[in-house]
Amino acid sequence: MQIKFEQFVTASMLGHQDAPPRSNGELLFQIDWESRAFGIAIALSKKGHYEWEDFRQELIVSIAEWEANHCQDDPNWDYYQRWLLALERLVCELDLIDIEELETRTQQLLKPNF
Amino acid sequence: MNESSREAYNAARIKALESLLIEKGIITSETVDQVIDFFEKDMGPFNGAKIVAKAWVDPDFKQRLLEDTPSAIAQMNLPRGMAGAEGEHMKAVENTPDVHNLIVCTLCSCYPWPVLGLPPYWFKDPTFRARAIREPRKVLKEFGLDIPETTEVRVWDTSAQIRWFVIPERPAGTEGWTEEQLATVVTPEAMQGAAKVQVPTSI
Repeated sequence: MQIKFEQFVTASMLGHQDAPPRSNGELLFQIDWESRAFGIAIALSKKGHYEWEDFRQELIVSIAEWEANHCQDDPNWDYYQRWLLALERLVCELDLIDIEELETRTQQLLKPNF
Repeated sequence: MNESSREAYNAARIKALESLLIEKGIITSETVDQVIDFFEKDMGPFNGAKIVAKAWVDPDFKQRLLEDTPSAIAQMNLPRGMAGAEGEHMKAVENTPDVHNLIVCTLCSCYPWPVLGLPPYWFKDPTFRARAIREPRKVLKEFGLDIPETTEVRVWDTSAQIRWFVIPERPAGTEGWTEEQLATVVTPEAMQGAAKVQVPTSI
């Protein structure tokens, strides 16, 4: 049976600890960068830069790290913060980008008037 | 970092990441846009809501929908996500004063997202699935649905062969509404039979 890659991705996460937040049948993004992070992670896998399962495992690890140090109902829990961390680590591990150039570019973007 | 500086940092971080990936020719922003578009436009409960609203205003369509769901849906020109395999083998069942239908999914990976949108967290909970089959009235009561003893409760197990969805009862107070207006009140939970369609009191 043929399904779209995006549907496969959704199926892999639903019902597991890495399932994304959703509301009324749609993905719940609270701020712009979250949907961007979501789209980039899936696009990279869709284009064959890594297996989707590799990203999931990275995400599960980053969620587990949070859970090891915080209470279950910690109000600072932020799913997409964990997603971003997993994405950063994976693209750096695969040498798609370098952690230092990422840091430099981030700081440049944070400077006013850049 | 406080909340707003953390968000500013995250936004810059993801922008930095994307710009580097684009400069290196690893992905294009169009690829990312397409992925996001798929989730925002093609996959969501809005498709199912349109189908239900049409069934409420057009009895002939409802009849076709109940008899041959895929061909009735195919006539509606819904977005491309609907053409995927997840939208095939669909079967609609109708809630009436005499019958209340509830959809569960004991095996899963077969949830009809193109119509219903993403399932709520409890849908894939094994305890919920087992209990919904064993004691559906009690489970429905916990969802706030008190189904009278005179109404038969039918539980449908969605599978790769048949993906069920519920045409909920049209709520009172919606006489004269257009299809577009009706579609706005249909929720994924209502199309699973886990809720009734509510009319917001502000309308």
